[in-house]
Parts: sequence; C-alpha cells; structure tokens
Amino acid sequence: MNIDLILYCVINTLVVLAISPLFVSLVKKVKAWTQGRRGPSLFQTYATIRKLLSKEVIYSPASSWVTRICPYLSMASLIVASLFVPLVFVTGTVGGIGNIILFLYLLALSRFIMALAGLDAGSPFGGMGSSREMSISAIIEPTMIIVFATLAFVYRTLNIPDMVSIAAAQGTMAVPTLILVAISLFILLIVETSRIPVDNPETHLELTMIHEGMVLEQSGRNLALMEYAAAIKLAVLTGLLVNLVVPLGIATTLSVTGLAVAVIALVVKGSALAGVIGLFESSMAKKRFFQLPSLFAMAFFFSTLVIIIEVFS
Amino acid sequence: MIDPAFVEGLIRILFVGVVVTAAYIITSRNLLSVVSVYAVQSLMLVLIALSLYSLEGSLVLLAIAVITFVSKVLIIPYFIATVQEKIRIKRDIEFHYLTPTSSLLLSVVLMLVIYMALSRILLGTSERNSLFFFGAVIGISLMLMGMMVTFSRKKAITKVLGFLSMENGVLLFGMFVTELPFIIEFLIIIDLIIIVLLTAILSIGIDSTLEDYQNRLHRFHLWETLEDTP
Repeated sequence: MNIDLILYCVINTLVVLAISPLFVSLVKKVKAWTQGRRGPSLFQTYATIRKLLSKEVIYSPASSWVTRICPYLSMASLIVASLFVPLVFVTGTVGGIGNIILFLYLLALSRFIMALAGLDAGSPFGGMGSSREMSISAIIEPTMIIVFATLAFVYRTLNIPDMVSIAAAQGTMAVPTLILVAISLFILLIVETSRIPVDNPETHLELTMIHEGMVLEQSGRNLALMEYAAAIKLAVLTGLLVNLVVPLGIATTLSVTGLAVAVIALVVKGSALAGVIGLFESSMAKKRFFQLPSLFAMAFFFSTLVIIIEVFS
Repeated sequence: MIDPAFVEGLIRILFVGVVVTAAYIITSRNLLSVVSVYAVQSLMLVLIALSLYSLEGSLVLLAIAVITFVSKVLIIPYFIATVQEKIRIKRDIEFHYLTPTSSLLLSVVLMLVIYMALSRILLGTSERNSLFFFGAVIGISLMLMGMMVTFSRKKAITKVLGFLSMENGVLLFGMFVTELPFIIEFLIIIDLIIIVLLTAILSIGIDSTLEDYQNRLHRFHLWETLEDTP
C-alpha cells in the first residue's frame, strides 16, 4: 500500500461522486433545448437526490431482504468500478488495479442486482423491466468483451489505469483507428445507461420502460441511491471514453494545480460528450426491442475492424 | 513541404472514415442520407488522392481528384437526389438474402479473408506492411461491401448506390496498388454517369409497358417537352 494509491482512490471517488449528477442534468438540459424548452437547472439532480434522501422508505409487503440491500450493493459495486477508471489523475504506481474483465463484471453485477430488485417486489412492471434488462445485457455482452479486448489490444495492457496513463503520456490519440473504438464505446454507453434508442429514461409507460421499471418499487433513500448509481455509471463510462480518446489535461503527477486543471478538463470534455448524447437522443426514435441487435452489431463491427486493422498492419 | 508522417496519419484517418461511410450505406434505411453519405465517401477519396499527390507528386492523382470531385461529389449525387425527389421514395426497408445486421457481420469476415489473400499475394514484396497494403485491403473490402448492398437491397436506386460505392472501392484500390491508366478511370466515370441515367429509367418505370412508360415520365416531370398523349 503506498500513499499514491490511497490518494488516488480518495480523489477519484470524490470526483466521481461530485461530478456524476452534473452530467445527468446536462443531458436533460440539452434535450430540453432541442425541444425548445428551458429545461431543469444544472443542479436539479443534486437537489432531487438530497430530497429523496430525506424522505421515508416504504417497502412493499411482498418484498424480502433483497429489496433492502440491493440499493447499497448496486451503489457499492459501481463505486468500486469507478475506481478502475482514472478520471483526473493517474501515476505509474496506480497501475496494479483495474483489470478490464473485473471492470466488466462489476458493471454486470450492478445490473444483476438491479434486476433482482425489480423482481423481488413481485410487481409485473418490475419483472418485465428485469426480463428486458437481462435480455439486453445477454446480447450486449459479446460486444462489450470485443470492445474492451480491442482497447486491450491497442494499448497492449489489460489495466484501464495503464491505458489511461499511456494515453496521457502521449497526449493525443494512440492510433487513428481509436475513432472507431470511440464509436463502439459510445454505443455501449448508450446501452449501459439506458438511453434513447434502447430505453427511454423519461417515460413511465409500462410498454417501454426498462430501467425505470426496475426502480419503480424503490422509494426514499433507496431510490436516491439507485439514481445516484445510474449517474455514476454514466460518469464512469463518459470518463473512460473521453480520457482515452482525448487524453488532454489528465494529471500525471500529484499537485494541486495539476488536479485543478484535470478536473476542469474532465468537466469540459464530459460536458461536450453529454451534449453529444443529448443531441443523439433527440435525433433518434426509440428502436423496437427486436431491432436492438443491429445497434449492437454496429459496435461489434467497428471494434472487430480495429482488431483486424491493428493486428495486421 | 508537408511532413510525410503527418500525411500518412491523415490518410489512415480518411481510410477509417471511408469504412464508416461504407458501414452506414450497408445499414441505413433512409434513402436521402445514403445519397449524401455517398457524396461524403467520394469526398474522402478526393482528399486521399490529394494527400497522395502531396506525397508522390504524380499529376495523374491530381487529375483523378478533380474528375472524382466533379462527377461523384457534385453531379451524380445531385442527379440521384433529384430522381429521388421525383419518385417520392424516402426509405428502403426491403432486403433480400441478408438483413443489414448480417451483412455487417459478413463484411467483417470478408475483410479478414481479403487481408489473408492479399498478404499471401504480396508476401515478400516491399508493398507488405505499408500504407499501400492497407489501402488495397480497404479498397477491395469497399468493393465487396458495395456488391453486398447491390444484391441485398430491393429498390433499384439503392442498388445503383451500391454499385457506385463498389466503383469507389475500385478507385481506391487503383490509387494504392496498380495505378490504373487515367483513360480507364475516365471511361469508368462516363460509364457511371450513364448508369445513373439508366437508374432514372429503371426506378421510374421498369414495371410498366412502353405506352404507359411515356405517361409515367410525363407524370414525374422528367420529360417536360413531351406533348400530352392519351
């Protein structure tokens, strides 16, 4: 255990906790602008989470202990996953942690817990949401593995902190084909955070909801934790995408000014990506459930292509 | 003089762009955007030819860039867009043999096969492991992907777009490996323009009799000077 690693864990967790609700509000704001509305304030998600934390928790009489521990487990697995993605600073000594396979399984674990929470209360909407979520997650799994294998191949390492430190040392994109990986990562981000062509985060219409269906039975601080966990997932995947593709501004040594610059850079890059997500969501209609594999095939195609190009040229 | 390493990087990025546009042409169901994506793809070829010109200084490349720009970025897309507006078809959602998803997956396999075949052919030559080899692989893949569009779509107008992107692949391959004689390149482009003219005829009236066909041309305002025939 060295001091750098401990500082890394503390700083990374603080940054992800502080920044993640901002990105969620930003996406909402951009969507509102494209629809000609003013939209909620940028701090609305913080306010919502604070409000929910002070509310009473109500459990369905049919629910068991699973519902009671699920929000905590989900939050915990995502915070651990967030440690794997250096958001603002990375040093050589941090490299020991952050295996991509473990990262993927932590994301899968949080999905699984969410699905259990949806099933536990016995409401038909929750069950339907869980069933859909699990089907999607089963189809997206090969694509995710291929995308991360591509990253591992491009950077010749299995650790995400190592990838980010290589990218940060170079200062620019490692290879031009990383643009293709960025497209694949973007599609993964859309699927993982339940955004529009896959799921609509704003609806409570029983026919379409996936993520919302699963958290329907949650209330009070449990709901706050679930919402916070979803925001963290968005922030972690955003951080992964922007820090690998545009690795400008990441601090490689520990200093106050370096960290400040890195945080600002992260907020700027992440806001740009949130803007892109908002525009993307506004320009698409929700896809039919059985047409989703074509979206995943796109991500699969691009990342396989990168592997072919990089292996052979 | 521009730095050759920078130009090579630029060409690689353009290759990536060409592949992305090809994937879009395979999967998209919206006809209007397919035409503009085809124009973008041709524009990328123009830029590749210009970058190669700055590397090699061969005037043929400059000439290819100019005629590609005039014919494939301006004239052909404009003409197809006009025909499309006349026949009022906005989407192409009918496919045979292959759905977009499976053709996308198939094209990955195709690229792999092409890579293997080409690396055997070029084994031991200096072309191996260079930008030119990469260009050849992308060129032939683009050709075969265009072919897949041609046989998996049902509408005549998308079939022709597939054919056009196939020709883009030939052009790319020609630029990087064999250096096609300029006269052949020029003849191919004339062929393309004729093919596009034929599309207008095919997509408007292939299923009609000759008498009816005149009426149709008239109805779509493609033959304004024609007198009203009963």
